[in-house]
Amino acid sequence: MRFGAMAAAVVCALAALAAGGCQKEAPAPAPPPASGAAAPLRILSLAPNLTEILFAMGLGDRVVGRSTYCAYPPEAAALPAVGDTLQLNLERVVALKPTVAFLITRRDDVPRRLEAVGVRAVALRSDHMSEMLQSVATIGRETGHEADAQMLLDHIQVGLMRVRARVKGLPRPKVLFAFPMTIGSPQMMVAGRGTFVDELLDVAGAANAYPKTADWPTLSPQAVIGLGPEVVIVNATAEDAAPDRLEAVRRAWANWTSVPAVKAGRVHVLTETFLTIPGPRVVQAAAVLAEAIHPELRGATPEGARP
Amino acid sequence: MIRPRPVTARRYVAALGGWLVAWVLVAAAAVLLGTENIWAWESWESVRTVLGIRLYLVLTASIVGASLALAGLAFQALLRNPLADPYILGVSGGASLGVILSSLCFSILLAPLFGFVGALATVAVVYAVAQRRGRLEPYTLLLSGVIINAFYGAAIMLVVALASPMERGSIAYWMMGSIGTFDPRGTPVVAVVGGLAVAVAVVFAFLAKGFNLVVVGEDTAGALGVRVERLRLVAFVAASLVTGASVALVGPIGFVGLICPHLLRLALGPDHRRLVPASFFFGAIFLVLADLATRLLASVGDQAPPVGVLTAMCGGPFFIYLLRTRWRRAAEVR
Repeated sequence: MRFGAMAAAVVCALAALAAGGCQKEAPAPAPPPASGAAAPLRILSLAPNLTEILFAMGLGDRVVGRSTYCAYPPEAAALPAVGDTLQLNLERVVALKPTVAFLITRRDDVPRRLEAVGVRAVALRSDHMSEMLQSVATIGRETGHEADAQMLLDHIQVGLMRVRARVKGLPRPKVLFAFPMTIGSPQMMVAGRGTFVDELLDVAGAANAYPKTADWPTLSPQAVIGLGPEVVIVNATAEDAAPDRLEAVRRAWANWTSVPAVKAGRVHVLTETFLTIPGPRVVQAAAVLAEAIHPELRGATPEGARP
Repeated sequence: MIRPRPVTARRYVAALGGWLVAWVLVAAAAVLLGTENIWAWESWESVRTVLGIRLYLVLTASIVGASLALAGLAFQALLRNPLADPYILGVSGGASLGVILSSLCFSILLAPLFGFVGALATVAVVYAVAQRRGRLEPYTLLLSGVIINAFYGAAIMLVVALASPMERGSIAYWMMGSIGTFDPRGTPVVAVVGGLAVAVAVVFAFLAKGFNLVVVGEDTAGALGVRVERLRLVAFVAASLVTGASVALVGPIGFVGLICPHLLRLALGPDHRRLVPASFFFGAIFLVLADLATRLLASVGDQAPPVGVLTAMCGGPFFIYLLRTRWRRAAEVR
C-alpha cells in the first residue's frame, strides 16, 4: 500500500514535470489582434484609469478582471481582482481566460509574464494628458472599437476645452495641489511641474505654485510657506477623508498664517477621489478644480450645460 | 536519546534517496495545489499553463530554501554559534543592498554577483568585528550582526528615499521576500542558482567531517589534521555565494537557515555528514511548504502574503526559544 501511494505520487510528479517542460518549450501562441469577429473579447484591466476608460467606451461587459485598486465604476468593483503589476496572481489571470490585458507600467517583466501565460499584454502610459489620450486611442485600436474610442476622446477634449473657456480672462493664481500630511509628520506630497495634475491646474486656469519639474516631491512646511501659494488644494481621499482627519488637516493649515492662501481663506480641502486619476473623469476633475480656484465660477451655469 | 547508528555508504545513499522522495512528494503536492482549483477546469491548455507557473515557483522555493538552510548550517558550525543565520548575521542584508544597488545602477543581470559581493563583505566584517584574541565571542557575534543589519537597513532606506515613488514600491515589496513571481526570462537564472546550490551541497558534504571537528573546537580540529583556515575560507565563500544568489532571486527571506538545521539537529543528532544532505532537502521542503501556505492564503484573500513574512513570523519565536533553552545549556557545558 505504501508502495502504491509512493508510485502514484511519483507518477503525479512526473506528469507535472512533463507539463511544466512542455509549457516552457512551447508557450501558448498569442492570439492575433482582435478584429472583432474572431475570439470573443475578454479584457483584463490592470489600472484604475484604464478600467474607467474601458467602461466609458462601453466595453464594461467585456472586462473579466481588474486590479486590486479598480473601484470605479461600481460595476467594476464587483469583478474578480488579480492583484497589481507588482504582485500579480498569474493563476487567477489564467483562470479568467482574458484575451488581452491592458496595463500601465514601464517595467518590461510584467507584460512578459502575461505573454508567457498566453495573454496579449498592451503596456500603456498615462503620466501626461497626451499619453492618457493616446492610451484611449490604443485601447480602441486593440479592441476594434475605434469609433467608441474616438467618441470618448471627443468627449474629453471638448469637456476640457469648455473648462478652459470658462476660466479664460480670469486671473491665474499660484496654486499648490497637495495631499494631506501623513499622521505624525508635517511633510506633504505636492504636484510637481510636468505631472498630470499640473496639466489639470493649467486647464483649470491656475499656475502651479511648485516651480520645478518633479514627480510628486515631498515638502516640509517651511518649503510650502516659502512657495507662498495663493490657493491651496488639499486632496483628501480614502482614510484621509474621515471627518476628524479633515478637521485636523484644516487646523494644521490654519496655523500657517503667513501663506497668502491661508490669509485669504483659500485653502480648499477636496475629497473627490478622481482628481488624480488620468481617466475619463478628468473633465469633472478640471471643473471641480476650476470652481475651487475661481470662486466667481461657483453657481454659474457652465456654458456647455445649456440646452 | 537514541544513539545514532554509524554512517555507512549504504545508509548515506538510502538517506539521500529518502530525502529525495520526500521532496518529490512535497513538490508534487505544491504543484497540484494552489490559489485556483484547476481540477474543476475543462480547458487542459489553462491547466497546463498553471502547472508550469507552479512548477517554476516550487523549483525556485526549493533552491532558495536549500541554499539558505545550507548557509545557516555552515555559519552555525564555523562560528560555533547555534543562533547564526544568514539573516540574523546581516549577510542577507548585505546581499540585499548589493542587489538593490545593482538593479538601480546597473543591469539586473548583475544582481547575483552584487548579492554575492555584499554577502561576502558582510561575513568578513562580522567575522573581523566579533573576533577577539583569536576567539569568536557568541555575544559579540550576534551584536555585530544586529549592528550591521541596522546599518544596512539605514543604507537601504537611504536608497529608497532617493529613489522615485515607482521604484520605492517595488523595492519595498521585494524586501519582504516573495517567491510568487513567475518570469519566463528568469528560468536561466533559476537554473544557475540551482546548480550553485547543488555544487555547494556537494562541497559541504565533503567538508562535513571537518565541520564536525570544528564544532568541537578549532584547536582540536587543527590537531586532528583539519586545515581549519582553508575549511573556513571555502565554507564562508560558498555560504555567501548561495546566500547572495538566493537573495538576488527572491529577496531576503529570513530564519530558514536558523529553523531547518536546528530541527534536523534535534531529530538526527549533531553529525554533519547527516546534516548536510538533510539541510539541503529539508530547507527545500520547508520553503516549498511555506510558499504553498502563502498561495493557499491567497485563495482566501486576493493577494498572497510574502513568504518572507511567514518565515520570519515562525522564526522570531523559534529564535527566542533557542536563546532561552539550547544556547544557555550549551554555555553551561562550556
